[in-house]
Amino acid sequence: MKIHQKGFLLIALSQTKDSWDDDLVKLAQAEYNLTGSVAINGLYVALNELAAAGLIVRTQEKLIERVAVQARVSFCYGVSEFGRTRMLETRLHADNVISN
Amino acid sequence: MTTTSLELAIARHYAKNQRWGFIWALWTAVLWGAWYVPSTALWFEPPYVSIDPNDLALRLTATAVMTWIHAIAVMLFLLVWNMTLGKLRDYGRTMVRFQRISKWYALASLCGGPMAIFGSYMAMGFVGPVFAAVTSLFYPVIGAVIARLWYKEKISTRAAIGMAIIIMGGMVIYGPGIFGELGVTNTNAWLGYLGGIFSAIGWGTEGAVAARAMDVTDPDVGIQCRFSFEILFWSIFILPALAFYIDMPVGQLLIETMQNNRAMLWIMLAAACHAYCYTSFYRSFSLIGVGRGEAIGNLYGVFAVAFVAIFTLQLPPWYFLLGLLLTVIGSFVMFREPAESTAELRSVNAAESST
Repeated sequence: MKIHQKGFLLIALSQTKDSWDDDLVKLAQAEYNLTGSVAINGLYVALNELAAAGLIVRTQEKLIERVAVQARVSFCYGVSEFGRTRMLETRLHADNVISN
Repeated sequence: MTTTSLELAIARHYAKNQRWGFIWALWTAVLWGAWYVPSTALWFEPPYVSIDPNDLALRLTATAVMTWIHAIAVMLFLLVWNMTLGKLRDYGRTMVRFQRISKWYALASLCGGPMAIFGSYMAMGFVGPVFAAVTSLFYPVIGAVIARLWYKEKISTRAAIGMAIIIMGGMVIYGPGIFGELGVTNTNAWLGYLGGIFSAIGWGTEGAVAARAMDVTDPDVGIQCRFSFEILFWSIFILPALAFYIDMPVGQLLIETMQNNRAMLWIMLAAACHAYCYTSFYRSFSLIGVGRGEAIGNLYGVFAVAFVAIFTLQLPPWYFLLGLLLTVIGSFVMFREPAESTAELRSVNAAESST
Protein backbone atom coordinates (compact mmCIF):
# COMPACT_ATOMS: atom_id res chain seq x y z
CA MET A 1 0.00 0.00 0.00
CA LYS A 2 1.22 3.48 -0.84
CA ILE A 3 2.11 5.92 1.91
CA HIS A 4 -0.42 8.66 2.71
CA GLN A 5 0.01 11.88 0.73
CA LYS A 6 1.42 14.14 3.43
CA GLY A 7 3.90 11.41 4.35
CA PHE A 8 4.89 11.12 0.69
CA LEU A 9 5.56 14.87 0.47
CA LEU A 10 7.78 14.70 3.55
CA ILE A 11 9.72 11.70 2.25
CA ALA A 12 10.14 13.22 -1.21
CA LEU A 13 11.42 16.44 0.32
CA SER A 14 13.79 14.64 2.67
CA GLN A 15 15.49 12.95 -0.29
CA THR A 16 16.59 16.27 -1.77
CA LYS A 17 18.27 19.22 -0.12
CA ASP A 18 15.51 21.64 -1.11
CA SER A 19 12.56 21.45 -3.52
CA TRP A 20 10.14 23.95 -5.02
CA ASP A 21 6.47 23.45 -4.21
CA ASP A 22 5.53 23.10 -7.89
CA ASP A 23 8.00 20.21 -8.33
CA LEU A 24 6.77 18.46 -5.18
CA VAL A 25 3.16 18.82 -6.29
CA LYS A 26 4.01 17.35 -9.72
CA LEU A 27 5.74 14.40 -8.03
CA ALA A 28 2.71 13.74 -5.82
CA GLN A 29 0.36 14.11 -8.79
CA ALA A 30 2.29 11.47 -10.69
CA GLU A 31 2.48 9.14 -7.68
CA TYR A 32 -1.25 9.27 -6.92
CA ASN A 33 -2.63 10.02 -10.42
CA LEU A 34 -4.17 13.26 -9.17
CA THR A 35 -5.85 15.67 -11.54
CA GLY A 36 -8.18 18.62 -11.06
CA SER A 37 -7.80 21.84 -9.15
CA VAL A 38 -9.25 20.48 -5.87
CA ALA A 39 -6.62 17.75 -5.60
CA ILE A 40 -3.78 20.03 -6.70
CA ASN A 41 -4.75 22.84 -4.32
CA GLY A 42 -4.99 20.21 -1.58
CA LEU A 43 -1.31 19.37 -2.10
CA TYR A 44 -0.29 23.05 -1.82
CA VAL A 45 -2.38 23.31 1.36
CA ALA A 46 -0.63 20.20 2.72
CA LEU A 47 2.75 21.90 2.17
CA ASN A 48 1.48 25.00 3.97
CA GLU A 49 0.31 22.84 6.88
CA LEU A 50 3.68 21.05 7.07
CA ALA A 51 5.43 24.46 7.13
CA ALA A 52 3.06 25.86 9.78
CA ALA A 53 3.70 22.80 11.96
CA GLY A 54 7.45 23.40 11.60
CA LEU A 55 8.22 20.08 9.89
CA ILE A 56 9.46 21.82 6.76
CA VAL A 57 10.94 25.28 6.36
CA ARG A 58 10.73 27.80 3.56
CA THR A 59 14.25 28.39 2.20
CA GLN A 60 13.53 30.55 -0.87
CA GLU A 61 10.61 32.21 -2.53
CA LYS A 62 9.85 33.61 -5.98
CA LEU A 63 7.00 35.38 -7.66
CA ILE A 64 5.18 33.58 -10.47
CA GLU A 65 3.56 36.08 -12.81
CA ARG A 66 0.28 34.85 -14.31
CA VAL A 67 -1.87 36.13 -17.14
CA ALA A 68 -5.10 37.88 -16.04
CA VAL A 69 -4.76 36.81 -12.40
CA GLN A 70 -2.73 38.05 -9.45
CA ALA A 71 0.91 36.92 -9.25
CA ARG A 72 1.43 33.87 -7.04
CA VAL A 73 4.29 33.28 -4.63
CA SER A 74 6.12 29.97 -4.94
CA PHE A 75 8.19 28.53 -2.09
CA CYS A 76 11.24 26.31 -1.95
CA TYR A 77 11.10 23.96 1.05
CA GLY A 78 13.54 21.86 3.06
CA VAL A 79 12.87 19.40 5.90
CA SER A 80 13.69 20.89 9.31
CA GLU A 81 15.48 19.00 12.07
CA PHE A 82 12.13 18.80 13.86
CA GLY A 83 10.61 17.37 10.68
CA ARG A 84 13.31 14.67 10.56
CA THR A 85 12.63 13.85 14.21
CA ARG A 86 8.88 13.52 13.47
CA MET A 87 9.66 11.35 10.41
CA LEU A 88 11.68 9.02 12.62
CA GLU A 89 8.94 8.91 15.26
CA THR A 90 6.27 8.14 12.69
CA ARG A 91 8.51 5.78 10.68
CA LEU A 92 8.25 7.78 7.50
CA HIS A 93 11.18 6.79 5.29
CA ALA A 94 11.97 6.09 1.66
CA ASP A 95 11.18 2.34 1.94
CA ASN A 96 7.53 3.29 2.43
CA VAL A 97 7.25 4.79 -1.05
CA ILE A 98 6.26 1.80 -3.18
CA SER A 99 4.36 2.57 -6.33
CA ASN A 100 1.76 -0.03 -7.12
CA MET B 1 9.72 42.08 -10.41
CA THR B 2 10.83 43.96 -7.30
CA THR B 3 11.60 42.78 -3.79
CA THR B 4 8.64 44.80 -2.59
CA SER B 5 6.17 42.98 -4.81
CA LEU B 6 7.59 39.64 -3.62
CA GLU B 7 7.28 40.74 0.02
CA LEU B 8 3.73 41.86 -0.65
CA ALA B 9 2.89 38.51 -2.25
CA ILE B 10 4.37 36.62 0.73
CA ALA B 11 2.39 38.79 3.17
CA ARG B 12 -0.74 38.12 1.09
CA HIS B 13 -0.02 34.38 1.15
CA TYR B 14 0.30 34.30 4.96
CA ALA B 15 -2.80 36.47 5.36
CA LYS B 16 -4.78 34.11 3.11
CA ASN B 17 -3.75 31.06 5.16
CA GLN B 18 -4.63 32.85 8.39
CA ARG B 19 -7.98 33.98 6.99
CA TRP B 20 -8.88 30.43 5.92
CA GLY B 21 -7.89 29.15 9.37
CA PHE B 22 -10.29 31.63 10.99
CA ILE B 23 -13.02 30.90 8.42
CA TRP B 24 -12.86 27.17 9.23
CA ALA B 25 -12.88 27.94 12.97
CA LEU B 26 -15.94 30.16 12.49
CA TRP B 27 -17.75 27.37 10.62
CA THR B 28 -16.95 25.15 13.59
CA ALA B 29 -18.74 27.63 15.84
CA VAL B 30 -21.80 27.99 13.55
CA LEU B 31 -22.31 24.23 13.16
CA TRP B 32 -21.55 23.48 16.79
CA GLY B 33 -24.14 26.03 17.86
CA ALA B 34 -26.65 24.42 15.50
CA TRP B 35 -25.79 20.97 16.92
CA TYR B 36 -27.24 21.84 20.34
CA VAL B 37 -30.76 22.24 18.89
CA PRO B 38 -31.32 18.67 17.53
CA SER B 39 -29.18 17.13 20.31
CA THR B 40 -31.40 18.61 23.02
CA ALA B 41 -34.59 17.86 21.05
CA LEU B 42 -33.60 14.19 20.95
CA TRP B 43 -34.11 13.93 24.73
CA PHE B 44 -37.77 14.89 24.19
CA GLU B 45 -38.45 12.00 21.80
CA PRO B 46 -39.32 8.37 22.59
CA PRO B 47 -37.68 6.23 23.85
CA TYR B 48 -35.64 8.88 25.71
CA VAL B 49 -38.50 11.10 26.91
CA SER B 50 -40.13 8.26 28.86
CA ILE B 51 -37.00 7.40 30.86
CA ASP B 52 -37.40 8.23 34.54
CA PRO B 53 -34.91 11.00 35.47
CA ASN B 54 -34.08 9.03 38.62
CA ASP B 55 -33.28 5.85 36.71
CA LEU B 56 -29.58 6.55 36.57
CA ALA B 57 -28.37 3.39 34.83
CA LEU B 58 -31.00 3.50 32.11
CA ARG B 59 -30.38 7.19 31.44
CA LEU B 60 -26.64 6.61 31.09
CA THR B 61 -27.28 3.64 28.80
CA ALA B 62 -29.60 5.80 26.70
CA THR B 63 -26.85 8.43 26.46
CA ALA B 64 -24.40 5.76 25.30
CA VAL B 65 -26.83 4.46 22.67
CA MET B 66 -27.57 7.91 21.25
CA THR B 67 -23.86 8.80 21.17
CA TRP B 68 -23.11 5.58 19.27
CA ILE B 69 -25.84 6.08 16.67
CA HIS B 70 -24.69 9.71 16.38
CA ALA B 71 -21.09 8.59 15.73
CA ILE B 72 -22.19 6.18 12.98
CA ALA B 73 -24.25 8.90 11.31
CA VAL B 74 -21.29 11.33 11.52
CA MET B 75 -19.12 8.68 9.87
CA LEU B 76 -21.58 8.44 6.94
CA PHE B 77 -21.44 12.20 6.38
CA LEU B 78 -17.64 12.14 6.55
CA LEU B 79 -17.54 9.32 3.99
CA VAL B 80 -19.53 11.51 1.59
CA TRP B 81 -17.17 14.45 2.24
CA ASN B 82 -13.95 12.50 1.68
CA MET B 83 -15.37 10.62 -1.29
CA THR B 84 -16.22 13.96 -2.90
CA LEU B 85 -12.70 15.27 -2.25
CA GLY B 86 -11.07 12.02 -3.45
CA LYS B 87 -9.48 11.31 -0.07
CA LEU B 88 -10.93 7.89 0.72
CA ARG B 89 -7.76 6.02 -0.28
CA ASP B 90 -5.69 8.34 1.88
CA TYR B 91 -8.03 7.46 4.75
CA GLY B 92 -7.15 3.77 4.32
CA ARG B 93 -3.44 4.56 4.04
CA THR B 94 -3.57 6.57 7.28
CA MET B 95 -5.71 4.10 9.26
CA VAL B 96 -3.30 1.19 8.67
CA ARG B 97 -0.36 3.07 10.19
CA PHE B 98 -1.77 2.52 13.65
CA GLN B 99 1.36 2.06 15.72
CA ARG B 100 2.98 5.33 14.70
CA ILE B 101 0.21 7.61 13.50
CA SER B 102 -3.45 6.65 13.74
CA LYS B 103 -3.13 5.59 17.39
CA TRP B 104 -3.23 9.31 18.18
CA TYR B 105 -6.62 9.55 16.46
CA ALA B 106 -7.74 6.55 18.52
CA LEU B 107 -6.75 8.44 21.68
CA ALA B 108 -8.40 11.63 20.36
CA SER B 109 -11.60 9.64 19.75
CA LEU B 110 -11.60 8.42 23.36
CA CYS B 111 -11.22 12.02 24.58
CA GLY B 112 -13.78 13.46 22.15
CA GLY B 113 -16.34 10.64 22.08
CA PRO B 114 -16.83 8.58 25.25
CA MET B 115 -15.51 11.53 27.29
CA ALA B 116 -16.64 14.83 25.65
CA ILE B 117 -19.73 14.04 23.55
CA PHE B 118 -21.01 11.52 26.11
CA GLY B 119 -20.23 14.03 28.87
CA SER B 120 -22.08 16.77 27.02
CA TYR B 121 -25.17 14.55 26.54
CA MET B 122 -24.94 13.73 30.28
CA ALA B 123 -24.78 17.43 31.16
CA MET B 124 -27.77 18.15 28.88
CA GLY B 125 -29.78 15.24 30.25
CA PHE B 126 -29.02 15.58 33.99
CA VAL B 127 -28.73 19.39 34.37
CA GLY B 128 -29.68 21.17 31.15
CA PRO B 129 -28.39 22.47 27.80
CA VAL B 130 -27.26 25.83 29.23
CA PHE B 131 -25.05 24.14 31.79
CA ALA B 132 -23.67 21.81 29.10
CA ALA B 133 -22.75 24.79 26.93
CA VAL B 134 -21.13 26.77 29.78
CA THR B 135 -18.83 23.99 30.94
CA SER B 136 -17.67 23.32 27.40
CA LEU B 137 -16.62 26.99 27.10
CA PHE B 138 -13.44 26.22 29.01
CA TYR B 139 -12.12 23.59 26.62
CA PRO B 140 -9.84 26.00 24.63
CA VAL B 141 -7.86 26.77 27.78
CA ILE B 142 -7.22 23.06 28.32
CA GLY B 143 -6.36 22.53 24.63
CA ALA B 144 -4.02 25.53 24.48
CA VAL B 145 -2.21 24.58 27.71
CA ILE B 146 -1.66 20.97 26.58
CA ALA B 147 -0.50 22.08 23.10
CA ARG B 148 1.85 24.61 24.70
CA LEU B 149 3.37 22.17 27.19
CA TRP B 150 3.48 19.13 24.91
CA TYR B 151 4.69 20.42 21.55
CA LYS B 152 5.38 24.09 22.26
CA GLU B 153 2.57 25.61 20.21
CA LYS B 154 3.09 29.37 20.10
CA ILE B 155 0.37 31.37 21.83
CA SER B 156 1.01 35.11 21.57
CA THR B 157 -0.18 37.54 24.25
CA ARG B 158 -2.74 38.89 21.77
CA ALA B 159 -4.11 35.39 21.11
CA ALA B 160 -4.33 34.67 24.86
CA ILE B 161 -6.17 37.97 25.49
CA GLY B 162 -8.59 37.25 22.63
CA MET B 163 -9.22 33.77 24.03
CA ALA B 164 -9.94 35.18 27.51
CA ILE B 165 -12.39 37.79 26.10
CA ILE B 166 -14.26 35.13 24.09
CA ILE B 167 -14.61 32.88 27.16
CA MET B 168 -15.81 35.88 29.17
CA GLY B 169 -18.39 36.64 26.44
CA GLY B 170 -19.64 33.06 26.62
CA MET B 171 -19.96 33.34 30.40
CA VAL B 172 -22.01 36.54 30.03
CA ILE B 173 -24.34 34.84 27.52
CA TYR B 174 -24.94 31.71 29.57
CA GLY B 175 -24.04 32.78 33.12
CA PRO B 176 -27.43 34.18 34.25
CA GLY B 177 -29.40 31.31 32.69
CA ILE B 178 -27.38 28.68 34.46
CA PHE B 179 -28.85 29.57 37.86
CA GLY B 180 -32.26 28.36 36.75
CA GLU B 181 -30.85 25.00 35.80
CA LEU B 182 -28.62 24.67 38.87
CA GLY B 183 -31.58 25.42 41.12
CA VAL B 184 -33.56 22.45 39.82
CA THR B 185 -33.85 19.77 42.51
CA ASN B 186 -32.41 16.68 40.95
CA THR B 187 -30.57 14.17 43.09
CA ASN B 188 -28.60 12.96 40.07
CA ALA B 189 -27.51 16.46 38.98
CA TRP B 190 -23.94 15.64 40.07
CA LEU B 191 -23.74 13.34 37.05
CA GLY B 192 -24.54 16.32 34.82
CA TYR B 193 -21.79 18.37 36.51
CA LEU B 194 -19.38 15.48 36.03
CA GLY B 195 -20.46 15.28 32.39
CA GLY B 196 -19.76 19.00 31.98
CA ILE B 197 -16.23 18.59 33.32
CA PHE B 198 -15.75 15.56 31.04
CA SER B 199 -16.81 17.59 28.00
CA ALA B 200 -14.38 20.47 28.74
CA ILE B 201 -11.42 18.19 29.44
CA GLY B 202 -12.36 15.81 26.62
CA TRP B 203 -12.67 18.38 23.82
CA GLY B 204 -9.62 20.34 24.99
CA THR B 205 -7.48 17.21 25.10
CA GLU B 206 -8.87 15.89 21.83
CA GLY B 207 -7.71 18.96 19.91
CA ALA B 208 -4.18 18.75 21.29
CA VAL B 209 -3.89 14.97 20.75
CA ALA B 210 -5.33 15.04 17.22
CA ALA B 211 -3.03 17.91 16.21
CA ARG B 212 -0.13 15.63 17.15
CA ALA B 213 -1.09 13.22 14.35
CA MET B 214 -2.29 15.93 11.99
CA ASP B 215 1.18 17.40 11.51
CA VAL B 216 1.97 14.35 9.31
CA THR B 217 -1.55 13.56 8.03
CA ASP B 218 -4.48 15.23 6.31
CA PRO B 219 -7.07 16.84 8.64
CA ASP B 220 -10.11 15.58 6.64
CA VAL B 221 -8.71 12.06 6.74
CA GLY B 222 -7.80 12.49 10.39
CA ILE B 223 -11.35 13.27 11.45
CA GLN B 224 -12.64 10.20 9.65
CA CYS B 225 -10.00 8.06 11.42
CA ARG B 226 -11.06 9.60 14.72
CA PHE B 227 -14.74 8.70 14.21
CA SER B 228 -13.84 5.19 12.97
CA PHE B 229 -12.10 4.55 16.28
CA GLU B 230 -14.95 6.07 18.25
CA ILE B 231 -17.45 3.69 16.61
CA LEU B 232 -15.09 0.78 17.34
CA PHE B 233 -14.82 1.71 21.02
CA TRP B 234 -18.59 1.95 21.45
CA SER B 235 -19.29 -1.21 19.42
CA ILE B 236 -16.63 -3.50 20.84
CA PHE B 237 -16.19 -2.36 24.43
CA ILE B 238 -18.76 0.01 25.90
CA LEU B 239 -22.15 -1.09 24.54
CA PRO B 240 -21.48 -4.85 24.82
CA ALA B 241 -20.28 -4.27 28.41
CA LEU B 242 -23.51 -2.41 29.21
CA ALA B 243 -25.66 -5.09 27.55
CA PHE B 244 -23.96 -8.25 28.81
CA TYR B 245 -22.38 -7.34 32.16
CA ILE B 246 -24.92 -4.85 33.54
CA ASP B 247 -27.84 -6.32 31.58
CA MET B 248 -29.08 -2.97 30.29
CA PRO B 249 -31.63 -2.88 27.40
CA VAL B 250 -29.15 -1.63 24.80
CA GLY B 251 -30.79 -3.56 21.95
CA GLN B 252 -34.28 -2.38 22.88
CA LEU B 253 -33.20 1.28 23.06
CA LEU B 254 -31.44 0.88 19.75
CA ILE B 255 -34.46 -0.63 18.00
CA GLU B 256 -36.89 1.90 19.51
CA THR B 257 -34.64 4.79 18.43
CA MET B 258 -34.34 3.42 14.88
CA GLN B 259 -38.12 2.93 14.70
CA ASN B 260 -38.84 6.51 15.74
CA ASN B 261 -38.52 8.68 12.63
CA ARG B 262 -38.40 11.94 14.61
CA ALA B 263 -35.62 10.65 16.87
CA MET B 264 -33.67 9.53 13.80
CA LEU B 265 -34.28 12.88 12.12
CA TRP B 266 -32.81 14.72 15.14
CA ILE B 267 -29.84 12.35 15.19
CA MET B 268 -29.20 12.82 11.45
CA LEU B 269 -29.44 16.61 11.77
CA ALA B 270 -27.12 16.59 14.79
CA ALA B 271 -24.70 14.30 12.96
CA ALA B 272 -24.67 16.48 9.81
CA CYS B 273 -23.83 19.51 11.98
CA HIS B 274 -21.19 17.64 13.94
CA ALA B 275 -19.53 15.98 10.93
CA TYR B 276 -18.85 19.25 9.15
CA CYS B 277 -18.25 21.11 12.42
CA TYR B 278 -15.48 18.62 13.19
CA THR B 279 -14.08 18.81 9.66
CA SER B 280 -13.81 22.59 10.00
CA PHE B 281 -12.40 22.19 13.53
CA TYR B 282 -9.54 19.92 12.40
CA ARG B 283 -8.84 22.04 9.31
CA SER B 284 -8.48 25.17 11.44
CA PHE B 285 -5.94 23.48 13.76
CA SER B 286 -3.45 22.91 10.97
CA LEU B 287 -3.69 26.53 9.79
CA ILE B 288 -3.98 28.61 12.97
CA GLY B 289 -3.18 26.12 15.75
CA VAL B 290 -5.18 24.34 18.44
CA GLY B 291 -5.44 27.30 20.84
CA ARG B 292 -6.78 29.80 18.27
CA GLY B 293 -8.98 27.24 16.50
CA GLU B 294 -10.63 26.16 19.73
CA ALA B 295 -11.06 29.75 20.97
CA ILE B 296 -12.85 30.90 17.79
CA GLY B 297 -14.78 27.64 17.87
CA ASN B 298 -16.01 28.81 21.28
CA LEU B 299 -18.23 31.33 19.50
CA TYR B 300 -20.63 28.38 19.31
CA GLY B 301 -22.16 29.89 22.46
CA VAL B 302 -23.44 32.84 20.44
CA PHE B 303 -24.72 30.66 17.61
CA ALA B 304 -26.37 28.16 19.94
CA VAL B 305 -28.46 30.97 21.50
CA ALA B 306 -29.19 32.45 18.07
CA PHE B 307 -30.37 29.10 16.68
CA VAL B 308 -32.54 28.43 19.73
CA ALA B 309 -34.08 31.91 19.27
CA ILE B 310 -34.78 31.16 15.61
CA PHE B 311 -36.43 27.80 16.33
CA THR B 312 -38.42 28.87 19.40
CA LEU B 313 -39.20 32.38 18.11
CA GLN B 314 -38.17 33.79 21.48
CA LEU B 315 -35.79 36.72 21.60
CA PRO B 316 -32.65 36.14 23.69
CA PRO B 317 -32.32 38.25 26.88
CA TRP B 318 -30.51 41.63 26.86
CA TYR B 319 -27.26 40.24 28.26
CA PHE B 320 -26.93 38.16 25.10
CA LEU B 321 -26.00 41.37 23.24
CA LEU B 322 -23.28 42.14 25.80
CA GLY B 323 -21.90 38.61 25.49
CA LEU B 324 -22.09 38.83 21.70
CA LEU B 325 -20.17 42.12 21.78
CA LEU B 326 -17.44 40.59 23.96
CA THR B 327 -17.05 37.50 21.78
CA VAL B 328 -16.86 39.60 18.62
CA ILE B 329 -14.21 41.87 20.23
CA GLY B 330 -12.27 38.77 21.35
CA SER B 331 -12.38 37.35 17.83
CA PHE B 332 -11.13 40.60 16.33
CA VAL B 333 -8.29 40.78 18.86
CA MET B 334 -7.20 37.33 17.67
CA PHE B 335 -7.78 38.01 14.00
CA ARG B 336 -5.70 41.18 14.11
CA GLU B 337 -2.69 39.17 15.19
CA PRO B 338 0.04 39.49 12.49
CA ALA B 339 -0.43 36.76 9.85
CA GLU B 340 3.26 35.83 10.19
CA SER B 341 2.60 34.54 13.72
CA THR B 342 0.36 31.79 12.32
CA ALA B 343 2.79 31.00 9.47
CA GLU B 344 4.79 28.91 11.94
CA LEU B 345 2.70 27.59 14.81
CA ARG B 346 5.36 25.90 16.91
CA SER B 347 8.56 26.98 18.58
CA VAL B 348 10.43 24.35 16.56
CA ASN B 349 13.73 24.33 18.48
CA ALA B 350 11.88 23.94 21.75
CA ALA B 351 9.61 21.29 20.24
CA GLU B 352 12.65 19.27 19.09
CA SER B 353 13.91 18.99 22.63
CA SER B 354 10.48 18.07 23.95
CA THR B 355 9.57 15.19 21.62
